[in-house]
Amino acid sequence: MSWALVAGGSKGIGFSIAEALAKRKYNLLLVARNHDDLILAKKTLEKTYPVEVETLTCDLSLTESTIKIHDWCNDKGCKVNILCNVAGSGGSGDFPELPVNEVSTMLRTNLESTIALSTILIPQLKTNAPSYILNVGSLAGFAPILIKSVYASAKSAVHSFSYSLRYILKPDKISVSCLCPGPVFTKPSIVNETMKQMGWLGKHMALEPGLVGELAIRGLLRRKMIIVPGKLARLISYILRILPDQFIAYLIYSFRK
Amino acid sequence: MKHIIISIFICFNCIVCFAQLKADNENQSDSSKPYALVAGGSKGIGYGIAEALAKRGYNLILIARHLDTLQFVKNKLQTKYPIHVEILAIDLSFDSSAYVIAKWCTDRKIHLKVLCNVAGLGGANDYLSFPLDSLRYMVSLNIESCMALSLTLLPLLEKNTPSYILNVASMAGFAPIPIKNIYSATKSAVVFFSYSLRYQLEDKHISVSCLCPGPVFTKPEIVKDTKAKLGWFGMKMALDPGTVGEYAIKKTFKKKLIIVPGTLAKISSSIIRFLPRRWVVSLYGKAGKKKSK
Repeated sequence: MSWALVAGGSKGIGFSIAEALAKRKYNLLLVARNHDDLILAKKTLEKTYPVEVETLTCDLSLTESTIKIHDWCNDKGCKVNILCNVAGSGGSGDFPELPVNEVSTMLRTNLESTIALSTILIPQLKTNAPSYILNVGSLAGFAPILIKSVYASAKSAVHSFSYSLRYILKPDKISVSCLCPGPVFTKPSIVNETMKQMGWLGKHMALEPGLVGELAIRGLLRRKMIIVPGKLARLISYILRILPDQFIAYLIYSFRK
Repeated sequence: MKHIIISIFICFNCIVCFAQLKADNENQSDSSKPYALVAGGSKGIGYGIAEALAKRGYNLILIARHLDTLQFVKNKLQTKYPIHVEILAIDLSFDSSAYVIAKWCTDRKIHLKVLCNVAGLGGANDYLSFPLDSLRYMVSLNIESCMALSLTLLPLLEKNTPSYILNVASMAGFAPIPIKNIYSATKSAVVFFSYSLRYQLEDKHISVSCLCPGPVFTKPEIVKDTKAKLGWFGMKMALDPGTVGEYAIKKTFKKKLIIVPGTLAKISSSIIRFLPRRWVVSLYGKAGKKKSK
């Protein structure tokens, strides 16, 4: 039976991705920071679906985590053929007020861990081909629509990395996808923020994490490159991709003012 | 009466002496002139930028890894231009570097007006053959150091407004290049970071610019590489680091956001930004394969 590794799979989009995979009878390897959340996720999934779930508690912003995860997969002897890099922190704080160490933690969870995990697991994915990699970007990675510099720039790097990786890994039968959701209501704070900043548009664009996970896995298994869940969000993503970035940044900023 | 006249005379003398001393002090050190910090300023584009700033009478703080190249550059610039050059040999990929640099500047009460984040590493070819550590090194040098330095030096820049931040990205930041996977990902992060930062700092009168050059002939390998992959087109598009630095500084002071030096590079960058990314990736991918055959 095949295994899927979900980094950041205990809560939010990560958990629903795990659930969507469990529904398709993939055994799961869940990695996250919070031990209790992981155990809870494991119990919930094993109760509802006929799958095995293994968990590993580790902080993905730390350098040694990558090796730890790699060794853990090898020790278990599981045949991993889906890798989902979901771990990321949205950054509640904005750039000028953020302390420096938090900037680097954010970059490390959002970008560096994605690069490192994909890189280290590629040999294993190759032997278990056809396999899949799902990276999680954001609508903010298409164009500078969020004036949140660290988050947006990390996500744009994830997009760029996914495009290149897909091209590189095509001959090896590894399909790379990038999930680019708009606002997802994973936490009450996000609901508030979205309502305040985007109003009507935000309310209609926002999705539940459960739906996002399901659509992400459907797109992933169909080998789609860019997965934007939700009709309105997809429409907006096309507009964002067509318009010049500089123009969008200017528009957003004058709108905010 | 006599006493009063004498004491007035003494007081007057004191004041004159003091004023002279102060004037002497100011003449001796030119620290009253504004400073520009160039991270990665010992070679290549960084050196080009440093020279362009020196020409405009800025004192310089140059940061790079190797002390000997820094020393050499310092002597060269100080003999050529009437400025003061400070050097710091620090590896910018370390977490602590930004703190160390910021502390160094604040302790000396540096009148910082320009920050140029030039340090970057452009590993060409095949990311799968690279060890994991060098990928991480690239991420932390290309993007993390840029963010950390901008953040820690922000208070100093705020004090001396109008001030300028110049981040160096690349045309690779506009669209992903498969053979330079991590490089173009980090550079795209730099571009996006600059976009957002510009709007965040606009109210503080700090202008943020982002330099996105095409091929620049900083090393002989790059000349060879460009010729092999992009052919005559690449050779026509390429520039030397001196021209790039001069152009970058000129446009930074004009508060331009995205700076692309060279007419041909400007045209091709507009095309790249307009085309769907997927096309550009496979175009780049094919150009990359040409060489390996």
